[in-house]
Amino acid sequence: MSTNRRCFLTGLGAIAYGDLLTGATRQPHFTPKAKRVIQIFCPGGASHLDTFDYKPELEKRSGQPMPGGDKDVTFQGANGNLMRSPWDFKPAGQSGKPITTKLPHLAKYVDDMAFIHSMSSRSNTHGPACVAMNTGFVFEGFPSAGAWLSFALGSENENLPAYVALPDIRGIPPSGPANWTSGFLPAEHQGVAFNAADPIRNLDRPSGISANTDQATRDFAQFLNTEHAARHPGDSDLQARIASYSLAARMQLSAPEVANLNAESKATLDLYGANSTNPLVAAYAKNCILARRLVERGVRYVQLYCASRASGVDGLLNWDAHKTLKSDYERHLPILDQPTAGLIADLDARGLLKDTLVLWTTEFGRMPTHQEGTLGRDHNPDAYTVWMLGAGVKKAASWGITDDFGRRVVENPTTVYDFWATVLHLLGLDHEKLTWYHNGLNRRLTDVHGHVIKSLLA
Amino acid sequence: MRLLILCIVATVSWADPVQILTKRCLSCHNPSSKMGNLSLASRPDAERVLSGRLMERIEKGQMPPGGGLPAEERDELKAWLASGAPWQGTLSLRVKANRNWWSLQPIQSKGTSIDQYIEVALQAKGLKLSPPVDRRTLIRRVTFDLTGLPPTPTEIDAFLADPARDSYEKLIDRLLASPAYGERWGRHWLDVIRYGESHGYEQNHVRPNAWPFRDYVIGAFNRDLPFNRFMTEQVAGDALDPAVDVATGFLVAGPHDTVGNSNLAATRQQRADDLDDIVNATASSFLGLTVNCARCHDHKFDPIEQADYYRVAAIMNGVNHGERAIASPTDKAKRDELAGPVERQIKSAREKIEALTAQIKEQRVSAEAALKSRYRSPVSPFGTEENFEPIFATKIRISAPLSFPGGLDEIEAFTPAGLNIAASATIKVSSTRIADGNPDAYHQRHLNDGSFDKRWFPEGNGPAFITIEFAKLTSIQKVAWSTDRVRAFQGKFQQNTVSSYKLEISPDDQNWTTIATGESRLPHRPLELDRLVTIEALSLQDRDDFVATEQSIKDLEAALKKIPALPLAYAGNFKQPAEAVYLLKGGNVMQRGEAIIPASLSTLAESPIASFSVTLEAPEKERRLKFAQWLADDKNPLTPRVIANRIWHYHFGRGIVATPSDFGYNGERPTHPELLDYLAQRLIANGWKMKPLHREILLSKAYRQSSAHIPEAAKIDADSRLLWRFPPQRLDAESLRDSMLFVSGKLNSQIGGPSFRLYKYTVDNVATYFPMDKFGPETYRRSVYAESARSIRTELLSVFDCPDSSLPEPRRVSTVSPLQALSLLNHSFTTDMAEAFGNQSIETAFLRAFGRPPDPGEVFESSALIRKHGFTAFVRALFNANEFLYVY
Repeated sequence: MSTNRRCFLTGLGAIAYGDLLTGATRQPHFTPKAKRVIQIFCPGGASHLDTFDYKPELEKRSGQPMPGGDKDVTFQGANGNLMRSPWDFKPAGQSGKPITTKLPHLAKYVDDMAFIHSMSSRSNTHGPACVAMNTGFVFEGFPSAGAWLSFALGSENENLPAYVALPDIRGIPPSGPANWTSGFLPAEHQGVAFNAADPIRNLDRPSGISANTDQATRDFAQFLNTEHAARHPGDSDLQARIASYSLAARMQLSAPEVANLNAESKATLDLYGANSTNPLVAAYAKNCILARRLVERGVRYVQLYCASRASGVDGLLNWDAHKTLKSDYERHLPILDQPTAGLIADLDARGLLKDTLVLWTTEFGRMPTHQEGTLGRDHNPDAYTVWMLGAGVKKAASWGITDDFGRRVVENPTTVYDFWATVLHLLGLDHEKLTWYHNGLNRRLTDVHGHVIKSLLA
Repeated sequence: MRLLILCIVATVSWADPVQILTKRCLSCHNPSSKMGNLSLASRPDAERVLSGRLMERIEKGQMPPGGGLPAEERDELKAWLASGAPWQGTLSLRVKANRNWWSLQPIQSKGTSIDQYIEVALQAKGLKLSPPVDRRTLIRRVTFDLTGLPPTPTEIDAFLADPARDSYEKLIDRLLASPAYGERWGRHWLDVIRYGESHGYEQNHVRPNAWPFRDYVIGAFNRDLPFNRFMTEQVAGDALDPAVDVATGFLVAGPHDTVGNSNLAATRQQRADDLDDIVNATASSFLGLTVNCARCHDHKFDPIEQADYYRVAAIMNGVNHGERAIASPTDKAKRDELAGPVERQIKSAREKIEALTAQIKEQRVSAEAALKSRYRSPVSPFGTEENFEPIFATKIRISAPLSFPGGLDEIEAFTPAGLNIAASATIKVSSTRIADGNPDAYHQRHLNDGSFDKRWFPEGNGPAFITIEFAKLTSIQKVAWSTDRVRAFQGKFQQNTVSSYKLEISPDDQNWTTIATGESRLPHRPLELDRLVTIEALSLQDRDDFVATEQSIKDLEAALKKIPALPLAYAGNFKQPAEAVYLLKGGNVMQRGEAIIPASLSTLAESPIASFSVTLEAPEKERRLKFAQWLADDKNPLTPRVIANRIWHYHFGRGIVATPSDFGYNGERPTHPELLDYLAQRLIANGWKMKPLHREILLSKAYRQSSAHIPEAAKIDADSRLLWRFPPQRLDAESLRDSMLFVSGKLNSQIGGPSFRLYKYTVDNVATYFPMDKFGPETYRRSVYAESARSIRTELLSVFDCPDSSLPEPRRVSTVSPLQALSLLNHSFTTDMAEAFGNQSIETAFLRAFGRPPDPGEVFESSALIRKHGFTAFVRALFNANEFLYVY
């Protein structure tokens, strides 16, 4: 695949023009379980210890020094004693998996989730760690998972981009567009960023130009292009570019339709919390509905953000609760909870979960101790939790274990490469075969690593 | 040692356990990387290691990382070990390319012309060069190629009418002499070397003084600086001539993580990543080698040892990121002449302050006690209170002439009964700082929400106030406020709170009573308190002296500010390294091996070029200079080939080696190896000057041939890799944007200087870049002068495949997508340019946009469109036409 797609680096190659455009659907390596992905991302480092990784010992020994932890100097400096979560954990679902009582809606779906508690990150800094989670590399410039999937599988709906990123209403995540970049892959595989509040850029015709004039202008350009192509037979790029204008016109119709939530019933809006009086809950809920509408229409990969970049105040705009964990997460957890649970329920009700994979991700975890002089937790790149759910994913599964306090991984350590190898596997792709030559190597999403986590496959 | 890929000699059947080891374990546990100090490469090693702790970890699923081995493989290994680890084969080591690799051999070519090589290769496939292209197409091709802009109608006419035999030569010479040449070809080089104007990573702040390096590059191309000199200046310009000091901007043109880190491993990692970027940029740009692949282990395909990577890292170990004053010795001397005396006066004034302070050391304790008896306790960020006799008020106002440093997390007003009634009062503030995209961040609501986590901040650093208003006259006895009630902040932030303030109360909004001010309090910042103690302890006469000296320092500093500073540039900052570069096992910063001596690459040890090494302690400047000289040696087989190939690549859209920064095994083989050597030799023969090489290439029949598609030839060589036709090319993003400006008559041809922005740039801890719907006239300059922030999408440019400078981009892709159509159709830039074009004749419009007059059919259709929809619609269509974007 990679050699074939190298062809058009030369300019006007001889490959079919359909292949030059996002619209083409391409075949996976083997029969896939999942056809599309919604990846939820909670930037700022969502604490595993206050969400999904229950540590009774941490509750018991809260306030005491962490055994062996006295020399821990983490991202912002020294650490104090162990600090339990401000909220209790309670067994949820039939599996009885204990999760925080602060996520009552998501608790209803723990039986569907496959948790990975043994993730670790190569960076303890938000930007590089976010980019590492999404691209496999701490350096910017490498393609994100969605771009790889757009490249590998194309789109099921040529009127919409194959890969959409939905940034949070509060802003873009740390390192911004590097999280949905196509890196060195062709620009067509770039995640197109918009959300329920902010439409695709340049979608509307310029203000002051009437629909008639716009159409006449396009028709005239088409006339010029047809003549020009006739003078240059054999150059497929020209045909591709002519086709790209038709695709653009169809996207101009489809994209506003998909982003228009007016057709959603009140019941659906309520299910997600889109009518919440908390504007941040409502905003994220609308993006969740938009995510469903996108996958429903065949968009291959949706990256859905719940929170944004860092601000001057830690933990305000995202999950980075350095100083005031309780009040920060009192804000963030309810934003995540109902809308995400609503999304899962809705996907399920519409039969979409059968071939849609839902991922919940963040860039790293947080310390079991409080940061010295504060009531927050510092970054912990050595342990964090993610989960997956839906097509091909084993139900009520857990993989990997952290120590008694959730400080470090003690069993089945897992890398982002393993995570993505597993995701690619579910989409029918061999992570070692999905490659693109760049600066000396056939690059992969999984670099030179990655093992499919078979225990999490249904 | 330098060989990595391991396999069993073919005579042996692949025993499964051995396969498992090879596939699963050897990438880390090989004799070179030796992760965890373990190698599994030989049978005795494997048996010994596996019988120890490793098998336990494998059984626990801890090895290999990421889920361990599948159960069956685990069992197989166990059984194999139990049966005495039978392993019949001998291990043989294999590398894909060795030191006999083509690109490492001396350059040799006996040819006499470019076309000779092209024609021989074509004939071998039964192909031939196409006939010469028509002159109208040729001038458009070569003008875009050399300047990134289209020819004007006048230039086209002049060329078509020029009967001289050497009219084409004259055209080339004119274009090569145009400053636009450097703007176009300088941009190519900036791609190759990952030049960007922001730090990248999370904060991604702009580097406002990166542009002098960009101007240096453009100037170097325009002056035809010999490439060997250009290369040397970029690696060690500071060691050559202060005038080319700025060239070292090359070394630090890449990303740099500016987020501080308290963790040792993370700090080391940041430094290692900085060095990695420099090593990678240097090796890939000049040598076409992927030395960065040897960061964790020996290169898997090329003869590059892991130690080679660290040799180059050791060369670069004194390079640091940052801005510094860059000026000629004359300019420096001039400034010293002006600033020197002032600086010396400041120094002596400071010494006087120190002497006066030292003189009263003994009296400090008593002085401080005296102060404490006269002043009230200092304010505290954790909470400050003003208590007073109960007073009736409808309004309380706290005003601060120097704003509220650190903000306030709460303000409270208490009745004599001790009840805080601020929560139910109306709060008004002078202003509120808006964090971008988030008006809630510093909202005044935080002032009386009863919670201490979030703070209100006013705008700016000037006067600010808060008013608490009650519905009716209310008795008040205490007002309290805090910046950090929960003591969440440490270090320097701890001192941040308002200290200069006035608290006033009014019963009616007319009559105001001042209740308290901050002036009667002791300073809460230690430095200010120290100063006050000193003054208190001094004799009356010394006190005057002290205050007068302080004032004179202020005056002198103001005077110093008025002397123009030396210009700053983001360039290499050089420091003798505090510690050596160590070989890092598996690339892990916490697993240091031996210290590595700065030296040339072993890769070229067998080539005619002499190897070099310096001592571990060698001055860092000497290391870089030696390395630069090694790079620039005429006998270096790589550097002349690599730059000659880049030049060819940009002329034809594809290099003789199609992977211009990888001349190793994973790169593509040269289509015309002898031609490449011929070009490299010509470059050296011309004293490494690039313009003569351009000229020779542009004069070749290969370059001047038609680009017409020939189906029979395409069947044999679809991409025209052998050049049976000139390969048509789509305009790159910058040329597209610049051409729209140019044909509309809006292009401001100002050369160099600070960059302009095609996005809205804001900083609130991290930088955010917002796309812009409208570009003002300040952006009507060539795109090479657009600020190129890393990882940022820029309207129009990014969608047309302009790289975002996160990584070196030696070869841009050229894609087609509906998003390009949307940008080019609908962004206001297109309509603005179409409007700026103005009403011209249809013929002029075609000539400017396509370089040719319209045919009658086109005139007819154009007039119809213009009549009904206006000239702007017509030009907007021309900008969207394929003919505008493609060069033949």
